[in-house]
Amino acid sequence: MFPILLAAIAIFNGKDVPDCVKLPAPGTNFRPNVATATTAPWVDSNGWRIARAEGKKFCYDVPKDRVVLAMAEADAHHADAIIKFPPEDQPLFDKMTAFLQKIGPGPTHDLGDIAVKEDGSPIAGETLNLFTRRNLTFRIVGANDPKALMNVTVDSSIKDPNEFTYSIRQKLTDEKRLIRVYGSETVLANLTGDGKHVRIHLVNYGRRGADGLRVRVRGSYQIEQSAFFDSDSKAEEYTVTDGGTEFSIPHIDVYGVVDLIAKP
Amino acid sequence: MKRRTFVLGSAIAPAALASVDQDIPKYRIVTPYHAEQHYRIPGTVVSVHSAKSIDETTEKADPNVVREMMTRGMLGLTGETKLGDAWRRFIEPSDIVGIKVNCSGAPKVCSNPFVVAEIVRNLTAVGVKPANIQIYERFEDQLKSVGYAKYLDQEVPIQAVEVPRGSIRNYDPKTYVEVDFFGEDDTRSNMIRWVTERFTKIINVPNMKDHGAAGVTGCLKNMAYGNFSNVARSHKWEKTNTKTFIGTLASTEPLRSRVVLNVMDGLKGVWHGGPFVLNPKFVFYPKIIAFTTDPVSADRLLIDIIETERKSKGANSVWDRSRDQLISSGRSVDPTKNHFIREPGHIEYASSLGLGVYDINKIKNKKIEV
Repeated sequence: MFPILLAAIAIFNGKDVPDCVKLPAPGTNFRPNVATATTAPWVDSNGWRIARAEGKKFCYDVPKDRVVLAMAEADAHHADAIIKFPPEDQPLFDKMTAFLQKIGPGPTHDLGDIAVKEDGSPIAGETLNLFTRRNLTFRIVGANDPKALMNVTVDSSIKDPNEFTYSIRQKLTDEKRLIRVYGSETVLANLTGDGKHVRIHLVNYGRRGADGLRVRVRGSYQIEQSAFFDSDSKAEEYTVTDGGTEFSIPHIDVYGVVDLIAKP
Repeated sequence: MKRRTFVLGSAIAPAALASVDQDIPKYRIVTPYHAEQHYRIPGTVVSVHSAKSIDETTEKADPNVVREMMTRGMLGLTGETKLGDAWRRFIEPSDIVGIKVNCSGAPKVCSNPFVVAEIVRNLTAVGVKPANIQIYERFEDQLKSVGYAKYLDQEVPIQAVEVPRGSIRNYDPKTYVEVDFFGEDDTRSNMIRWVTERFTKIINVPNMKDHGAAGVTGCLKNMAYGNFSNVARSHKWEKTNTKTFIGTLASTEPLRSRVVLNVMDGLKGVWHGGPFVLNPKFVFYPKIIAFTTDPVSADRLLIDIIETERKSKGANSVWDRSRDQLISSGRSVDPTKNHFIREPGHIEYASSLGLGVYDINKIKNKKIEV
């Protein structure tokens, strides 16, 4: 949430902050030297790390030009974050701060299709990373949640996280997924709310803006408001069809939110 | 218009074929558009050849010869005696016409500017306003490399779809084919907005090329992969889904109906490494322009043209499915090797969707020499 973020920034002077979960700088990398089946960029996102350590304090140490992405990610996952960034990025920080103030604090309850019980192992972490990467929404739970679409145990017995993630997607089916993002491999979504009021947080981890996204959310909603950082984009070409709400976004730079309200 | 969802709606045939071919992905065609009736001559192709059409040394086409080939081809296709009447079979003055060029092998091999200019000249002659004719291709860098503007009325728009590359802003969110080939995240391929919202007719101007994934690339592939987003996802490792994807895309309305004419520019062609020109030695000169309303028939004939050329050069067949021809990565500059198992069967598959006549014995290929 931005007020905590601002407060935290104020006390951070480059020294290690005790009891904070360190997060790597978010972004994308193309790793041609790593065996890969596709040319899809390697997205470094922390949504899964934040979900794993919910309620804790997080800290980023980001290189030049990444501060807005770190702020976007923290806001999208309502993380209490402390961000160290190069002084020359202060204008970017101020700009994103103004944007976060403009959109206001949204709901903080994560919505997710999958209730995950996990063992904290590296394999489980990689699997949760892939869930985030694939926009397979999840919540970490201590016990099975009968209200979730799926209950899944993610632990060190998983041999191939990629294959496992795909199997979960197939079992869930694309039709039933809470959110789909079309037109970008680098825009990841997090949804917060109570089902009646929903905020979709869209974070673009790519090095350039994404044009012409199409977003589909399960359920029938009206668009209450939408706002995008450093862009006058608005959610448009809205339609409700086949059990889902769809809209287009002409351009997303780093971050945007779309607030939905359930149709009566 | 009320939105309708066709779950393989226009394609009962694939469902039927699925019983014999388990390798057909589950396609979901979503379009609010219905079929339109336009002039069709199924199974007929007019192939106009002229040895004088292009100088193989300079690679310059002769615009006067091209004009004569275009005239003879259109008259031969329609049976008309006046050129204007031939074009009026397809086009009305009120039409907004898209000319889908192919620039993936540009600037070496692409829809020849003289061919495109001659199409534009004939369209304006029948009363279409230059501003209502649009030259288009998906990728800006490829399109710009040709320099069509030098050959055309300055009022004719020349526009690329993806600016910047990867942007789907100019694709129609209401009209798409959804399929999951390999577990990719983005499972939609959307049709170009101009096709759905602006053009009333489309003239398809492909080349004659080998294609590393599809076997050959002619009318169908230029229609399909040339008018939809997010299509390269159909290939992975040696596997390509072009066999069924090309026909499925090409059969989606309104693209299927609005492509009223195919002018296949075979002044130059590519016999290996297509759709690109990996090496100038893979360029050849069929010196043919083919005219048809039937993309399947023209592409069926194209298989033989490419196969004949490949055979003469010692290359393997486009039908070769052996694993020992495969290379693990990159595009092959060895014409006996390939990265993918080619799928020239996409043409017969497209025929099963009602896109045209595949049986070589039923295709009427009128040959004209200029």
